[in-house]
Amino acid sequence: MLFSERSIWTMLHGIGFGGGAMLALIAVLAAVYLLGREATHVPSVREARFVTQLTSLAASLIWLTTLVGTYAVFPLYRAAPPEGVTDLAAYPRTLILSAPETAWLHSFAMESKEHVPWIAAMLVTAVAHVSWRYGRKVIVDSRLRRASVALLAVAFLLVSYVSLLGVFVNKVAPVE
Amino acid sequence: MLEHDAHVTAATPAAPAAEQIRPLGEAMAAFVAAGIGSLALGVLVLLHAADAYSAPALHAGAGGISGRTTFAVIAWLVSWAVLHRRWRVRDNGWRTAEAVTLALVVLSLLATLPLLWEVF
Repeated sequence: MLFSERSIWTMLHGIGFGGGAMLALIAVLAAVYLLGREATHVPSVREARFVTQLTSLAASLIWLTTLVGTYAVFPLYRAAPPEGVTDLAAYPRTLILSAPETAWLHSFAMESKEHVPWIAAMLVTAVAHVSWRYGRKVIVDSRLRRASVALLAVAFLLVSYVSLLGVFVNKVAPVE
Repeated sequence: MLEHDAHVTAATPAAPAAEQIRPLGEAMAAFVAAGIGSLALGVLVLLHAADAYSAPALHAGAGGISGRTTFAVIAWLVSWAVLHRRWRVRDNGWRTAEAVTLALVVLSLLATLPLLWEVF
C-alpha cells in the first residue's frame, strides 16, 4: 500500500484540514478587507453570507484539525515502545527525545502544538458566530470588523505557527 | 433562511433593521468567552507544568491533553452561555470587552509557551 493508515491520518490532519483551515482563514481576511475598505460601500446580503460561510468553514476545519490531531495523530506520536525495541521509527516521541539535538521538537514544538490550536479554534468559532448573528454589520460596523479581523489574524498566525512546527517534527520523526 | 437575513433584501440600501438594532452584547459575550476559554486552557497548562494540578486523562491514547482541553472547552461554553444571557441586550462596554478579550488571549498564549514553563 502506498500510504499506511498512520500516514493517511497525519496527512488528513496537516495537509487536508490544517492546510484547508489556513486557506479559509486567509480567504476570510481578504474578503472582509476587500468588502470593508470603502466606507461608503454596503455589502450585499450575498457578500455577507459568503463571509459567514467562509468563517464557518474556517472554524470547522480548525476544529477538525485539532480533534484529529489530538485524538488520532497524537496517540500515534506519543506511543511508548515496548521493552527491548531498538528501532524507534514507529515511536516518534521516543525517537525525538533520544537525541539531545532533536529533543526541543518535543519539549517546545509538540508541547505548543498540543495546546495552541484549541485557542485558535475558540477564537474563530466566536467570529463565525458573530458573523452569523450580525451579518452585514460585521463589515459595516468598524468595531465589529476590527475585532473580528484581529481575532482571525491571530488565529491565522497561530495555525501557521503550529503548522510550521508540525513540518519540523514530521521531518525528523514522521508518523507513518 | 438565517435569522439575520429575515429582514434583509438585496435591495436594502443600508444595513437592515435587525442587524442595526441588535446590541453588541452578543458579540462581546462571544469574544470575551473565547478569551476565557483560552485562558482556562493556559491556566490548566501552567498548573500541569508546575506539577500543581494535572487534569485527568479522558482518552488513554491522548493522555492528559484530553482532560486539559475538555475542561477548557467546558469553561469556554459555560462562560459563553452565561455572558450571552447577561449581555445580550447590552450595547455599551465594547472597548472594555475588546481590551479584556485581547488581554485574555495574550495571557493564554504566554501560558501555553513552553519557554515560560521553566519559570515555574
